[in-house]
Amino acid sequence: MRSGRLFIRLGKAVAVALILLWSLAPIALILSSSIKPEREIFAFPPSITFTPTFVHYEALWERWPDFFHALVNSLIVTVLATVLAVAASLCSGYAYSRFRGHWIDSSALFLIAVRLIPPIVCTLPLFPVANALGLQDTHAWLAALYATFFVSLGTFVMRAFIDQIPKELDEAAAVDGAGRLRTLFRVVAPLAAQGMLAVAVFVIVYAWNEFLFAFIFTSTRARTAPLVLAEIVGNFDGVEWGVLFAAASVQLAPVLLFVWVMQKHLVAGLTAGATKG
Amino acid sequence: MKESLATRLALLAPAQGMVLAVLLVPALYLVWLSFQTSSFGLAPRFVGWENYARILADGYFWRALGNTALIVLVVVHVELLLGLGMALLFASGLPMQRLLLACVLAPYAVSEVAAVVMWRYLFDPEVGHVTYALQALGLPTLDWAVSPAHGLTMVALLSVWLHLPFTFIILYAARLAVPMELYEAARIDGASPWQVFRRVTLPLLVPALLIAALFRLIFAFRLFSEVWLLTSGGPARSTEVVAVYLYLEAFRYNSFGAAAATGWLMVLGSLLLAAPYLWRLGKAQKADA
Repeated sequence: MRSGRLFIRLGKAVAVALILLWSLAPIALILSSSIKPEREIFAFPPSITFTPTFVHYEALWERWPDFFHALVNSLIVTVLATVLAVAASLCSGYAYSRFRGHWIDSSALFLIAVRLIPPIVCTLPLFPVANALGLQDTHAWLAALYATFFVSLGTFVMRAFIDQIPKELDEAAAVDGAGRLRTLFRVVAPLAAQGMLAVAVFVIVYAWNEFLFAFIFTSTRARTAPLVLAEIVGNFDGVEWGVLFAAASVQLAPVLLFVWVMQKHLVAGLTAGATKG
Repeated sequence: MKESLATRLALLAPAQGMVLAVLLVPALYLVWLSFQTSSFGLAPRFVGWENYARILADGYFWRALGNTALIVLVVVHVELLLGLGMALLFASGLPMQRLLLACVLAPYAVSEVAAVVMWRYLFDPEVGHVTYALQALGLPTLDWAVSPAHGLTMVALLSVWLHLPFTFIILYAARLAVPMELYEAARIDGASPWQVFRRVTLPLLVPALLIAALFRLIFAFRLFSEVWLLTSGGPARSTEVVAVYLYLEAFRYNSFGAAAATGWLMVLGSLLLAAPYLWRLGKAQKADA
């Protein structure tokens, strides 16, 4: 019996080790290799003791100034998309939490159903439209696309959170003479801050990392970091892994830190969105 | 509390307006477009079902569809199995749970492009660490740039790596929601661990499994970036997936009509793939009510 328990604990330890290796090793390798001297990068097994160097980051700065410009673009697009998606989700999430009726229910179903349309399918008709309206290669257009693709999930996450807030609070606010919109922004929104954070985490991770829309709808002015990173990969000569790792690290590190800090909200949002949506 | 129709509309307008303008109207326009011959700068001309007929007669389309179906089915089911295993492992109690959870979630933060950099390096035929390790163990290595089967294997590995955190979280949350009393009751009745899993855990996880499968099936069917960045569909269009086929039709060969028809076939395809799961989910929910 004792040996059986020991066996189970050993099995669990091995499983955990494998899971950690699978999840973290690729990321750790990129981050650590970006500050390794060239000859240490290819050492196998990977070296752990090395003198850190920033030569690859310097090379990146010199050869790919575009990349840093693109990081700024990514930041602008991410912020715009987040504000738009959170604001729209808050309003519609509140409406679906408080109002009932045939039209309301069908429009909720519609919000879910349209998500079946793949992004690449709507790029086709939107491409000439964006051109005609002068939206091609602008931050606002990209942000609007990103926000749209998260507004359904965002709505249902917000509804799940707002459902927890007692209706009596709305009624009390109404007795005090506050209108619906005032109630939403002054009373409900502060209490639903957790949900807004959860929606924000989704949109931020998506907007910062997205490739397809940026690939089709931007060329120079609004080009985002993943695109320039892809260009660096495309021009890769098979030798200078250091520069590639530096660029990937810069693109990756901020959002990884962000996800770790926001872990609680991410998990809460995922469970609320998937099970109640 | 009474409200005017205007308030309701004002609250719903932003979300519904965005979805209408960016998703529904373009999708409907696409129906019209799929019956036209259309290219940049040319006036569209009605051609009936010609675009559909052309695509359905195109060997490259069928190869792309086959590749997509294969990758989607493998990726989603591997994810469900691994995610379920991990959820049960985490629920059985581990030290430093929060830290471990953070580690498992890490790939969620990684962009497709950065993931491609990582996995390209790991499996690089000359200098990749996994290539070294496989060689040291006397195992065959992945020639992903040359062999189509190996290229698709890389794409599948990459997809599982990127999306496992999502599947895992859904299943883990569902497992935590199973009431402890059920396990205590099963223990008192003298059920073996396998019986507990088979009779208590698994039946209660079915809705979560279906939801995770549904989400992932629909999203995996759109697979584009991983393939585009890794193989661009090559060598010789052998690793194309449907989204890449559509992109090439539209933006390289400028045949918008054919691309539009592909788009509708894609929507249909993902619905067909998801249908058995939707049907099961509907049944599960009816049983609940």
